[in-house]
Amino acid sequence: MKEIKLSGLDQSVFFEKLENGLEVYFIPYKNKTNYTMHYVTKFGSTNTTFCPIDEKEYITVPDGIAHFLEHKMFEQEDGVDPFTFASKSGTNSNASTSYKITRYYFEGSNNFKENLDYLLTYVHSPYFTEENVEKEKGIIAEEIKQYDDEIDWILDEELRKSIFQKDSTRIDIAGTVESISGITKDLLYKTYTAYYQPSNMILLVSGSFNKEEALETIQNNKALNAAITNYTIKEKKAKEPVEVARKEYSFKFPIVNPKVAYGMKIPVKGIKDRYRFNLYVGMILNILFGLSSRFRERMKKEKLMTSFYNERDFVGDYLIINFYADSKDAKKLVEEIKKELKTGNITEEEIERLKKVWISSEVVMVDNIALTLDNLLDDIISYGEIIPNKIDLYRSMNRKGLEEIYKKIDFDNASVVYVEPKES
Amino acid sequence: MNYKKLDMGSYQLHLIPTDRFKTILTRVCLRDKIVKEEITLRNFLTNFLTYSTATYKTKRELVLKAQDLYAANIYTKTYRAGNYNMMSFYLSILSEKYTEKGMIEQSIALLSDILFNPNFEDDETFEEAFHFLYSAMENAIQGLKEDPTLYSAVRMLENLGENEPYSFHEHGYMEDLEKINRSTLMDYYQKVLNHSLVDIYIIGNFDEQEMIEIIKKYMKFETFKRPKESQIIFHEKLPKKIKTEKESTEGAQSKLSIGCKIDKLNEFERNYVLTIYNFLLGNGSESKFFRIIREKHSLAYYIYSSLNKLDHLMIIRAGISKENFNATMKLVKKLMKEVEEGSFTEEDMEIAKNNYVTFLKEIEDNESAIIETYLARDLLNLGDIEERKKEILKVTKEDIMKIAKKVKIDTVFLLEGEMEDEGN
Repeated sequence: MKEIKLSGLDQSVFFEKLENGLEVYFIPYKNKTNYTMHYVTKFGSTNTTFCPIDEKEYITVPDGIAHFLEHKMFEQEDGVDPFTFASKSGTNSNASTSYKITRYYFEGSNNFKENLDYLLTYVHSPYFTEENVEKEKGIIAEEIKQYDDEIDWILDEELRKSIFQKDSTRIDIAGTVESISGITKDLLYKTYTAYYQPSNMILLVSGSFNKEEALETIQNNKALNAAITNYTIKEKKAKEPVEVARKEYSFKFPIVNPKVAYGMKIPVKGIKDRYRFNLYVGMILNILFGLSSRFRERMKKEKLMTSFYNERDFVGDYLIINFYADSKDAKKLVEEIKKELKTGNITEEEIERLKKVWISSEVVMVDNIALTLDNLLDDIISYGEIIPNKIDLYRSMNRKGLEEIYKKIDFDNASVVYVEPKES
Repeated sequence: MNYKKLDMGSYQLHLIPTDRFKTILTRVCLRDKIVKEEITLRNFLTNFLTYSTATYKTKRELVLKAQDLYAANIYTKTYRAGNYNMMSFYLSILSEKYTEKGMIEQSIALLSDILFNPNFEDDETFEEAFHFLYSAMENAIQGLKEDPTLYSAVRMLENLGENEPYSFHEHGYMEDLEKINRSTLMDYYQKVLNHSLVDIYIIGNFDEQEMIEIIKKYMKFETFKRPKESQIIFHEKLPKKIKTEKESTEGAQSKLSIGCKIDKLNEFERNYVLTIYNFLLGNGSESKFFRIIREKHSLAYYIYSSLNKLDHLMIIRAGISKENFNATMKLVKKLMKEVEEGSFTEEDMEIAKNNYVTFLKEIEDNESAIIETYLARDLLNLGDIEERKKEILKVTKEDIMKIAKKVKIDTVFLLEGEMEDEGN
């Protein structure tokens, strides 16, 4: 196992790549009681077109199949599902699907070896029948409908539909009631076999456990050893144009206060060091719009917004930056955001202060076994590797680096979505 | 865990020194008997005190100061616990190993500034803070209707016991908000300082003696000593028949809330038997509600029960389609009856106990949750983590059957989704 020290944090990560292609990350802690283990496949709601194993033609599967598959993995042939297995020892188990990954996890404080063995075994033991697939459609339809009432959810969906023309990020992770009706047992098996092989997967364990025992358990797991070794998926992704799908969109909903979402689509194709790029973009956004920004103070004084935050993520060759706000004059607020992005002034003092804040947040993060695991996983998914020297990178940031990146960004490629109140 | 409670005259100081964390968490808790008309004012005051101070007159100045202290994190929580209103100020900072000597004292000094040096005098910044907080609270109060899950629970509680503390709205009321001005706020601030029961909890890696000196220097409470009233709410009589009310709303899913009153219990029953009862019935994936109502009959997307021990209440919440209302209610009653009649196994008991022990172990890795256990010790006479692990093993099947007879459904509230159901 290769030891990677997280600099300035008194914590190490151990890495091993198995012969079958599986990547394993261990984050063993002293002084903690619990552990968390996540088994991840790089298969999310946006992976919808691929060539099934031993076939020649590419197929496009129904939207929502990754999430559907996640639900169905809980069905096991012996009738004992992972929830039941885990909760007997008081372990929490669950799974989740995002745009980019599906993960299965156990969180507990005892039964470590048995749980790890079971986690690998069940994720490598699909059991789909026509009957259990049909039954699941009702459950998932309920889940989808649950979000129909939630305005923040709907607003986000409309923003994604505005930003993307082709990328499947347009579609909700769970798909639609209609799309999931087209899912069959055979499609599930084809999809599963393509995406659930060790070379497409990552295992991460964080917290209180013995790393040698963990590695041995993984190496001896029968289901994992029976999987296909070093398989490379053939898949296609729609090419997403630079232009947004809709520049402006608005709709009415029974809410009290108007809401707005403003999303920017920044091409990053030519950028070599995406981590560094994202770091400086984060710094710009934080200083211009963060809790301590002059902008926020001014907007509050002018009563232009109450709730106000932004988030960002890479989607294919774009960095997407989304702002969300509750505002009585959303149009004016959006104009102010645009103006601030163009003319915002950033001082040396602000840069130095933010570096202190970021260093602090790394220390706080590493004290939490689950956050640390999530953070490493995010890096692996976004950048292909973990970034162990973040504190050093923060320390090295400066005004010159910031200005170079600031100059290059085109903030004008954007979509805005307004929600107006209507009488309920 | 190493724990010390010191009587400091006008307040109690609880110290939990440990090397398990890289941060130090301080919680200042001000308790007073809950008064419906004061909820809004108390929330407003809490937000006002942490918005700015007489030293740091704007939100921005205060945030900048906190950031300079390596992102000292100051946040608040006000909530009802039984008959009392709890107003808590939290300060989370890094252990000095990761910052600089003197940061602890400077951070506690900032917390002291927030508590004892409010920004009442400076007209311009007072007005600005007042108006901002006013409209944020207005949104919070009016936003209740936008959250169907919460709205359903609140309406159920109002029907369960009009004028009982558990029916009070946690965000407060518009008519009380409209009465707030500078003078009512100043008067109430004095009342809070003079009348609250004050507890200060500190957990993390610090030198005890040094910490006591710092606290003495900055936490200048001068509260009057008053006899403590019990925080626990008892019900005079158990319901004989179930009250049901329905209301309709836009949106697809229906939100079901069921309130159950619990008869007088002894301490062991309240602290331990009730917990296991709830695990068996409706808490978690091994509970009867989850297994039968969600998994076996696909009647609900989610269904769970939770306890308010201080209120002697159990609340059941579910997301369902409206046509499944009668079938769901029938099953809820049937499953509650099953527990009364002992229709569960020793293995079920074992699983429930394991789940509770896991829950306790999770606390060991969480500073704020550890503080809660010492607070619960004072409120409910509940043991510390180690004592709880031992006591829970003593719960028997007969205990559960006996307590099950003391839990009775009182009120049912259904927020009916109006939109057509698709599929399913």
